[in-house]
Amino acid sequence: MPTEKNIYRPIRAKLTDVIVESPTIKTFVLIPEEDFSFKTGQFIELSVDGIGEAPFTPSSSPLVKEKIEVTIMKTGYVTEYMHNMKPGSYMGIRGPYGRGYPVEKFFDKEVLILGGGCGFAPIRSLLYNLAAITDKLRKVTLCYGSKTPEDCIYKPYISELRKIPKFEVYRSVDKGDSNWTERVGVVTVLLDDVKVDISNSVAVVCGPPVMMKFGTLKLLQMGYPEHDIYLSMEKNMSCGLGKCGHCMMGKYFVCKDGPVFTYDEIKDQPNIWN
Amino acid sequence: MEYLYTKKTAWDELLGRLLVSHDIFGPVAGEHFQEYEHLSSATVPEVIYNRPKPASPLKIFFLPVRENVTSPRKQEKQRIIIGAPACDTEALGLLDEIYLDSDFEDVFYRSRRQNTIIISSDCFDVMEHCHCTSYGIRPWDEKKADAAVAVKGDTLFIRIISEKGRKFISDTGVFTPVTDSSMVSFIDSRHRETESMLERANRLLPDYARTGSLVKESGQAVWVKHSATCVSCGACTTICPTCTCFLLIDKPGFHKVKQMDACQYPGFERTAGGEDPLGELHERFRNRYMCKYVWKPEKFHSTACTGCGRCIEACIGKIDKNKLFMELAK
Repeated sequence: MPTEKNIYRPIRAKLTDVIVESPTIKTFVLIPEEDFSFKTGQFIELSVDGIGEAPFTPSSSPLVKEKIEVTIMKTGYVTEYMHNMKPGSYMGIRGPYGRGYPVEKFFDKEVLILGGGCGFAPIRSLLYNLAAITDKLRKVTLCYGSKTPEDCIYKPYISELRKIPKFEVYRSVDKGDSNWTERVGVVTVLLDDVKVDISNSVAVVCGPPVMMKFGTLKLLQMGYPEHDIYLSMEKNMSCGLGKCGHCMMGKYFVCKDGPVFTYDEIKDQPNIWN
Repeated sequence: MEYLYTKKTAWDELLGRLLVSHDIFGPVAGEHFQEYEHLSSATVPEVIYNRPKPASPLKIFFLPVRENVTSPRKQEKQRIIIGAPACDTEALGLLDEIYLDSDFEDVFYRSRRQNTIIISSDCFDVMEHCHCTSYGIRPWDEKKADAAVAVKGDTLFIRIISEKGRKFISDTGVFTPVTDSSMVSFIDSRHRETESMLERANRLLPDYARTGSLVKESGQAVWVKHSATCVSCGACTTICPTCTCFLLIDKPGFHKVKQMDACQYPGFERTAGGEDPLGELHERFRNRYMCKYVWKPEKFHSTACTGCGRCIEACIGKIDKNKLFMELAK
């Protein structure tokens, strides 16, 4: 008799490495005990045994099946426990859930990516995916902002990205220091620097709600059509199954209908920026 | 409609025999209201038929207040639930859409639905806040239960609704088909009387098709005013036959306990980053109305308010949603 599928049961995953990305952000490298794969932009529910569970979008490549990386900012009760976990311990994973980035819709286009803070995590997964199909893309432009140079994450990966043909990287910090040679200002200032053929381009935005809001408004001002702006929404996704109600954004369950939406899809829904 | 009949005493004896192999529940009278009880041979004859409505909604049999959803499912006895009113059976439509969703089927819910025979009871009376007809629901079940009963004197009539109900009735061996339609003409009369009473009582209430736009177009002042006595207790959602929001609580061993939750509780939508779209009382209060009358109708086929009126009866802040809607409809 086949095992009955239980949608609430997590699978165990061994924590094999913890990478410190910034004073408040760490990347957790996990090896699931059962087959697990995801599409870029989909999210998982990650749990600390007996403590709690929270939604995260993996930051690793969806093309790598044997391990999964999750980049986590310490912001609350569960993430504080996670930040104290050591390699060798176990976490629980449910998922993957929701609708990720529709990468096939980006073919033959320029992709402009706007990211802020820990919102770089889902974007890194997308970049891994896009870097594997550069022949199908015209150009990929990353605009990434963080509060300070110390808060910039994935520093070695940024160096790698800058070497990939067709990839351009722009960074800004709200407050620089004497070693910072890139832009200073909120992330949207980078949009003044980029050269992009909007008529043949899509934009991707992921970051804190206030950055998502002003980033989207700037993209609209630049002339991006509403249906070409992809937003990775952050709500209180608790069950991930379109049932528990915590992530409702108007008629949408963000966990099941999203988390990636076009602006056109959600612009009339309530509270999209908070 | 296909009816059969038997003596009420034969029905009670049948249920008594079925108690060996089934868990049977039915509404019996309490001090102030009727409520579902797990029946014994002594309480089977006390079951109340054709009067609205048990204090608890039917959902409690399918979605427990709290359960471990990662431990192995227990084998449960077959269940028979008698006396569910149409406002409750109609609500199963939405629950089925959510919990039997082919992408993520809840095996606990599915197993309980499959394991349960629902015998509805036509309402031949109304309670103060009943308003099912305002939302397009008749006070007798035609499609969601397995069978429905109507009692007259010492005779019990049963109407076949589903194939499961047909098999159950056939297997009992105690029913005789009604061949003379005059035998059940009283049921039609009682249906019409009940509908008429409901329509008279709720003539000022806007119908379900209109409630959505009324809710959507109402400004913040309406919600601030009507939520003034709300204490965020969640009684309205707990008692609602269609509200099913829940919380997953982690327990050692990567276990998950699923517990009923309510959008009326502070922090229901709060994220770790601190954003809280429902931080204010009036926002949470409005959210419930938007969910039931605007968003659920956009997303699902089933109705998200069946007009049972329990939320009005349960509210310790004396908030009467029907009064609110009548005010909006003016």
